[in-house]
Amino acid sequence: MRYVQTTCPYCGVGCTLNLVVNDGKLVGVEPYRRSPINEGKLCPKGMTCHEFVHSPDRLTKPLIKKDGEFVEASWDEALDLVAKKLRETSDKYGPKSLGFQVSCRTPNEECYIMQKIARVGFLTNNVDNCARICHGPSVAGLSLSFGSGAATNPFEDVLNSNLLLVWGSNAVEAHPLVGRRIAQAKLKGIPIIVIDPRYSPTARLADDWVRFNPSTHIALANSMMYWIIKEGKHDKEFIEKRTKGFDDLKKMVEKYADVENITGVPTEKVREIALKYAEAKNAVIIYCLGITELTTGTDNVRSMGNLAMLTGNIGRPGVGVNPLRGQNNVQGACDMGAYPNVYSGYQKCEDPAARKKMETAWGLKEGSLPDWYGSTLTEQINECGDPIKAMYIFALNPVVSYPDSNHVKRSLEKLDFLVVQDIFWTETCEYADVVLPGASFAEKDGTFTSGERRINRVRKAVDPPGDAKEDWEIFVLLAQKLGLKGFDFKSPQEIWDDMRKVTPSMAGCSYARLEKPESLHWPCPTEEHPGTPILHVDKFSAPDGLGTFFGLEYRPPAEVADAEYPFTLMTGRLIFHYHTRTQTDRARILHYEVPENYVQINTEDAKRLNIVRGEKVKVRSRRGESIAVARVTDEVGPGVLFMAMHFPEGANALTNTALDPLSKMPELKHCAVTVEKIKEGN
Amino acid sequence: MAKKGDMLYAWTNDSDLAKKAECGGAVTELLKYALESKTVDAVLAVTRGVDLYEAVPVIVTNPKDLDNCAGSLHCGTILLSKLVMEYAPDIAGKKIGMVVKGCDMMGVLELAKRNLVNLDNIVMIGVNCGGSVSPVAARKMIREKFGVDPDKVTKEEIDRGQFIIEYEGGHKGIKMDDLEDEGYGRRSNCRRCKVKIPRQADIACGNWGVIGDKAGKATFVEVCSDRGAALLTKAVDAKKLSTEPADPKGIELRAKTEKSMLKLGDKWRERDFSALAPRLWETIGAETARCMKCYACIDHCPVCVTRPDRFEQPALMVRPGFVPADPMFHLRRFAHISDSCINCGQCEECCPSEIPLALFSHAIRTEADKFFEPKLGKPVYTN
Repeated sequence: MRYVQTTCPYCGVGCTLNLVVNDGKLVGVEPYRRSPINEGKLCPKGMTCHEFVHSPDRLTKPLIKKDGEFVEASWDEALDLVAKKLRETSDKYGPKSLGFQVSCRTPNEECYIMQKIARVGFLTNNVDNCARICHGPSVAGLSLSFGSGAATNPFEDVLNSNLLLVWGSNAVEAHPLVGRRIAQAKLKGIPIIVIDPRYSPTARLADDWVRFNPSTHIALANSMMYWIIKEGKHDKEFIEKRTKGFDDLKKMVEKYADVENITGVPTEKVREIALKYAEAKNAVIIYCLGITELTTGTDNVRSMGNLAMLTGNIGRPGVGVNPLRGQNNVQGACDMGAYPNVYSGYQKCEDPAARKKMETAWGLKEGSLPDWYGSTLTEQINECGDPIKAMYIFALNPVVSYPDSNHVKRSLEKLDFLVVQDIFWTETCEYADVVLPGASFAEKDGTFTSGERRINRVRKAVDPPGDAKEDWEIFVLLAQKLGLKGFDFKSPQEIWDDMRKVTPSMAGCSYARLEKPESLHWPCPTEEHPGTPILHVDKFSAPDGLGTFFGLEYRPPAEVADAEYPFTLMTGRLIFHYHTRTQTDRARILHYEVPENYVQINTEDAKRLNIVRGEKVKVRSRRGESIAVARVTDEVGPGVLFMAMHFPEGANALTNTALDPLSKMPELKHCAVTVEKIKEGN
Repeated sequence: MAKKGDMLYAWTNDSDLAKKAECGGAVTELLKYALESKTVDAVLAVTRGVDLYEAVPVIVTNPKDLDNCAGSLHCGTILLSKLVMEYAPDIAGKKIGMVVKGCDMMGVLELAKRNLVNLDNIVMIGVNCGGSVSPVAARKMIREKFGVDPDKVTKEEIDRGQFIIEYEGGHKGIKMDDLEDEGYGRRSNCRRCKVKIPRQADIACGNWGVIGDKAGKATFVEVCSDRGAALLTKAVDAKKLSTEPADPKGIELRAKTEKSMLKLGDKWRERDFSALAPRLWETIGAETARCMKCYACIDHCPVCVTRPDRFEQPALMVRPGFVPADPMFHLRRFAHISDSCINCGQCEECCPSEIPLALFSHAIRTEADKFFEPKLGKPVYTN
């Protein structure tokens, strides 16, 4: 019996846990009580995260598609083919003909080495990660508002607050151990306002739950700010000393005194919550994908920034604007530069000095690295066939997780060559030419960076099954096949140190310092630096040190309910599953709890359509259809449906690919659908 | 020749171990001897993790490795009882030695009642326990109440009603009562605990009652079983351990210490239970309504025994896939453990929804014990 302290592979809270190993096999998960993050407590997913690791369904051998059939191959053969095809494609069609897609599930070291291969090996910026479809707008929006695209304050810090404003976040299910912090705040008597169209398990913790019409955030936030300014409750000193653009904001929100016709929230209620937020000594905003996954995502995020700056709620304990990052390493994947316009630490590719620095560090010819903004995750899907000919998908399952599954499938078919590297045979593997078997979180060393910018160690507990390899090692081998220099890594730590050398904001985060359970929050520029749990303390991270207000107009979603598709479909997460369920559905309890897709429908709507609880219904959008079990409930309002994102032929058979112009986030949270009985007369 | 009922001072003859261990190192020496003499095949003990706030359970087969388990960790809130059953299948059927606090011991006894462990194969060396402090809570307490950086602390102990720390540059003690009145201190289940000396183990050891020239240099040993007596006798015969009869004044002092701890336990029971009594249903209803159904309270409970076919049963009152959990999710568990809850506090400590589960089940058990005959027979311990 051996305990291996590591980090949970699921959401972005980054809980620490012990994997229990007996004779080289995982036999359980035990609490790691010394963790400052979760104190040993875990959610249903964390409790069972060892179960999928030894599943007989694991990929154990490289597979190559020959004459339409997948056949087992040696690593040599598979990687020779991958190297040859990628090189040929690049030589023939240029750097924009390749697409590299990195999963936020994978450790920092692997995110870094994959983007390095893309950039060093093929001089392309066509590398992106799945933050694009969760918190891309946070990175974009918070960068514009505050100069840094990350959460401002740590999770536990909500207990120093005097008011929690939880907006578009169902933390209890999606980030359960942050949900715990909210529950602790409630037990401490700290008032909680939850703004959500749905009466979620998180809304149940609220003193004030405000239901509003889906996707009308900007109207609601503008109206709150109108009342704050009108009542003189804004923080004039903070605005004067630390920000710019206030006049733009003030002018804009003047139009938003009454927004009940847009948001459905009575003006008096808007005024009430606005003043509560403004009058609290320290108030924190927690938000999530309800804010980001819309075509107005970046503007929604900037609205959160506006609110916080207007009331001076930035830069000290108990305040801030905190996006809850969805995946274990969604913060880290972005930090590592697996992003089409930045290198690690958000050093911009368009900046000639940054390019030159990387060229020197990576041994490239001066002027060789591209300055252009590469294609984003879903843009790459749209570009399959032209100009993208070959794609490398690392631990992602686009067929289920990207919007409009039918479109994704059609696009992948247009590729000349597709590599999928994963631990299970996913729906996406069907479209691959080569499938490479990687390692799970329990089978490799590395780090995940959680949503509070804390870098948590991941520790190897067992070996990968069969011929499967640790993913960083696969990239090292591929780099050898490609004849690349600067990839001679013998451990994840060496990759991490390679990254630290070129990344000022993480230069001080040595593995030795990450051994402590408290670890470090970046920025941490030197070995002596204590890390930075709270951002923007004396000045904002922007070059001029100021925060920026933006006057933002409300815009409706790209597709709204109409006569033909009269329902609004919202999507979200369940506590019992993680993303496309490749891991969670292999845990006995999690499968037992939610074995199949369901849709929440309001009691009145169900009655009118003669739909009863537990009956299977068909939900249709302009793009596809999905069969789901009906959950009749008042947790959603009339005219609104809710479906989780986890199931194949589920929510993403219906969702819309329309993009937020600034962050390229697709509108996963809002589309128009219709719902109907499958058989009349039930 | 030791016999059941003896009260002795004992200390190791190994001078290296004496330096590493606390109060004479008798616990470590007894277990080392048990391994060396093949009285047991393995020892389940606890070792220090990354720092003194972390306790890690280990299975030791090499006697030398036991030296790393010497000393006490008051922030070690793990429960060993269920680990034996779940994670040590390779030692099943073999003899195992265990270091047990009161809760570990009660857990083992309850598992034995259910035939899930075989007491014939377990040698329990008990250690007195006045309660433990969760690691993160301890660090917070040291920072906020002691004004000391928890990373600078080199030693912690609970002695004579005080929580005492030694750190780079000094030492400091604060009365536990004062700390606990302000919401710091021991876990709430530990405050209510009344098994401070685990007398149903084979040997009960501790530092209470060691006075005179042996103070700090010997362990107080109460021999609680014939098996314990035999182990001790053989260890002494093998010249591993030295003993002398305990000073009668020391025995008196130990009894006094225990009595005051029990009194404190009663105080906390009265405080906790009488606060709960008037609005019992409402409180249980409201608190469990935060449940996110992680199943930790079931998984970590030493007296919860689940059916292998539990997920194939028709669901009527606990609907799968609903959060918060339906009320029956908790009611059925309280019913299941109603006459067995040992108040180990694992359910509560591991609960991500901050539900005071141990308070509820401990209250149910103590009240039920006063009125009903327990289903699995009267336990040999009282808590």
